[in-house]
Amino acid sequence: MSVAAGARPLPRPRRGVLGTLAATDHKALGAGLFVTAFAFFLAAGVLALLMRSELAQPGMQIVSTQGYDELFTLHGSTMFYLFATPIAMAAGVYLVPLQIGAARLAAPRLALASWWMVIAGGLIMWMGFLTEQGAADVGWYAYVPLSDMPNSPSVGTDYWIVGVILAALAAIALSACILATIVKLRAPGMTMLRLPVFAWTMIVSCLMVVTAFPALVVAMALLLWQRQLGHVYTLPSGPIDYQHLFWFFGHPVVYVVFFPFVGAVAEAIATFSGRRWFGYRPFVLSLLAFAALSMSVWGHHMFTTDSVENRYFSLTSTALLVPAGVEYFDALATMCRGRIRLDQPALLFALGFLVLFAIGGTTGIFVGSPPLDYHVTDSYFIVAHFHYTLFGGSVMGLFSAIYLWWPKVTGTLLRRSLGVWHFWLTVVGMNLTFFPMFFLGWNGMPRRVADYPPSSGWQPLNVVASAGAWLIALSLLVFLANVAVSLRRRVPAGPNPWGAQTLEWATSSPPPRENFPDPLPPVRSYAPLLDLREEAA
Amino acid sequence: MVDTRHEYDRLAGLYLPIAAGVVLLVLVLVVGFAVRYRAGEEGAGRAPSRLASAPRAEALYVLALTAVAAFLLWRTFTVEARVDGAARARASVLVDVTAAKWHWTFAYPGAGIVVRGSDARRPTLVVPAGRAIGFRLASVDVIHAFWIPSRRFKRDATPGLPTRFTLVFPRTGTWPNGGECSEYCGLHHWQMRFDVRVVAPAAFAAWLRSGGTTVAGAAA
Repeated sequence: MSVAAGARPLPRPRRGVLGTLAATDHKALGAGLFVTAFAFFLAAGVLALLMRSELAQPGMQIVSTQGYDELFTLHGSTMFYLFATPIAMAAGVYLVPLQIGAARLAAPRLALASWWMVIAGGLIMWMGFLTEQGAADVGWYAYVPLSDMPNSPSVGTDYWIVGVILAALAAIALSACILATIVKLRAPGMTMLRLPVFAWTMIVSCLMVVTAFPALVVAMALLLWQRQLGHVYTLPSGPIDYQHLFWFFGHPVVYVVFFPFVGAVAEAIATFSGRRWFGYRPFVLSLLAFAALSMSVWGHHMFTTDSVENRYFSLTSTALLVPAGVEYFDALATMCRGRIRLDQPALLFALGFLVLFAIGGTTGIFVGSPPLDYHVTDSYFIVAHFHYTLFGGSVMGLFSAIYLWWPKVTGTLLRRSLGVWHFWLTVVGMNLTFFPMFFLGWNGMPRRVADYPPSSGWQPLNVVASAGAWLIALSLLVFLANVAVSLRRRVPAGPNPWGAQTLEWATSSPPPRENFPDPLPPVRSYAPLLDLREEAA
Repeated sequence: MVDTRHEYDRLAGLYLPIAAGVVLLVLVLVVGFAVRYRAGEEGAGRAPSRLASAPRAEALYVLALTAVAAFLLWRTFTVEARVDGAARARASVLVDVTAAKWHWTFAYPGAGIVVRGSDARRPTLVVPAGRAIGFRLASVDVIHAFWIPSRRFKRDATPGLPTRFTLVFPRTGTWPNGGECSEYCGLHHWQMRFDVRVVAPAAFAAWLRSGGTTVAGAAA
């Protein structure tokens, strides 16, 4: 069946750095993009550590105010544009062809160019640190007119815009590749309603990228024009126009970097509960509803502007609790009456995701209410809220994905006990870091402040948050140690060490160039390998 | 007159227990299922269930979720109508607030008083207690945001788009750093603060008559 993917033989991979940088095999490409994005994650994490260390006490100790502004701008931008979006796409590039029984990714050269664009965009953005005036200092959403030339004349801001445009174009191209792969290259028998749940989460993510990210490209291109030539955001409505363009992208992006990890968590829970994912059709429907709603909630970032219809955006934002609740129902129903292998890091991170994201989700409903948002928006409460969604959600889900698919990608096993340590350090560290921020924001600490008055009484909670940040750093060191040990002293994984349910586990680990040299097992549902086991039982 | 803090506290007092309850429920179910259905050694134990869907239960659950969303929205819209309605209400005292990098200016039209802050000195917003204070907010350069945490209210100051709102300060007193800019506006954003002094209406009237020269609140 693998032959059906194309009459032409697939090119053999070349060795060396140049070979890697020219790879058109979706697995090499996906892995390369993944490592690139993860490196940006660590780099942005270092910036966060510097910020947390600076905020541990009143007064400026480590960086200047200007330096601090560059830190939070590059932290947020790197996390969104260079880490979260590319790593979600990387997971899709690697896994989607395998999950749908395809031999390749559609338009692999476009995907390869996208990887280069992420690298180039990241380097250009960070090159700002080497310039005389420093890197961009306008915040990751770069509101006009603060980001206009008279207010932010640094060339680092122009670099930043170019970097964002490159990364956004890369995300659009990668999404197009993944969508085309799913539409055109599914194996015989793999209907749309037999796609694995992870593949479905990639579909909704990619749909959001191709509809929302063009608005970012336009907003940024116009911003560059405004800075260099003017006459764009100069009407009285200019600052609000920019916000509409930006948040039309800026809200969907948080779901773009969230859903693929919902899919990973779903696969981990199903696999380690020994059951198929519960409520597949309602789940798919809820994903599509979620994605559709996500395109209509952007104005909740603008409740305090007095320029949007607050009730409309409150309605759409609060409605999100319905599809989100369906996803929780399905996760818990899958666990219920399963046979749960609780000692596996992939499952632990998945369960951590469920609990921590619940905090981010419910506080999201809280700030979806305009009278409540009037107080806590642009405060540390918001910082706490979105880190519970992006760290408690996306990053916990990412590590669930890493522990789940590591054996498939590398052919080796990660050390289980180090993984459990990694999990508990992460959980404790992230709660210490972000929970105090709810109180800080409620008590009046605005976000994006380089310092605070000693009389504010905010220091104790800031110390706790800073200590937590260092604990997160320690947890990442444990993870990196696990990777190093596991790659040096290899424990072979075999094709399907977890008894997983989807097609990528029906081939060797790592899969060969053509993915499936042997005939595929029959595909009669979204869990074809589980079907075979249940028939044999 | 609507007290924004009172409205906020009541609505938050509804939302937060529900949020905490949901998080607790998820925690209990996740831990409970993980322990209850934990596999024994070598994967021993009952075979996992093969049930893959429960459309009727899930449909009822969706209806329940929709009811929760509708209930929250009803409460939110009710409070929003009061808070935003009050923000548009007529005021007995008018204050023109101008935000600029990186200080606030408060002008009291009619009385000819202008309290101007500078990068080095925080200005003081002086208002009478228990009166509806109308604020006209504008920015001369970038976007700032006028936030008084103790009033549980903020509003963006967008250049070219002046807005107005009404707040009530029920108690007299002085709050150093009682107001701040909450929209990142550049280098000295974190220092863009002001003090809030709420005085008795008679003392405020005297302060206005004196052209802002008496120490406001000294008589309060």
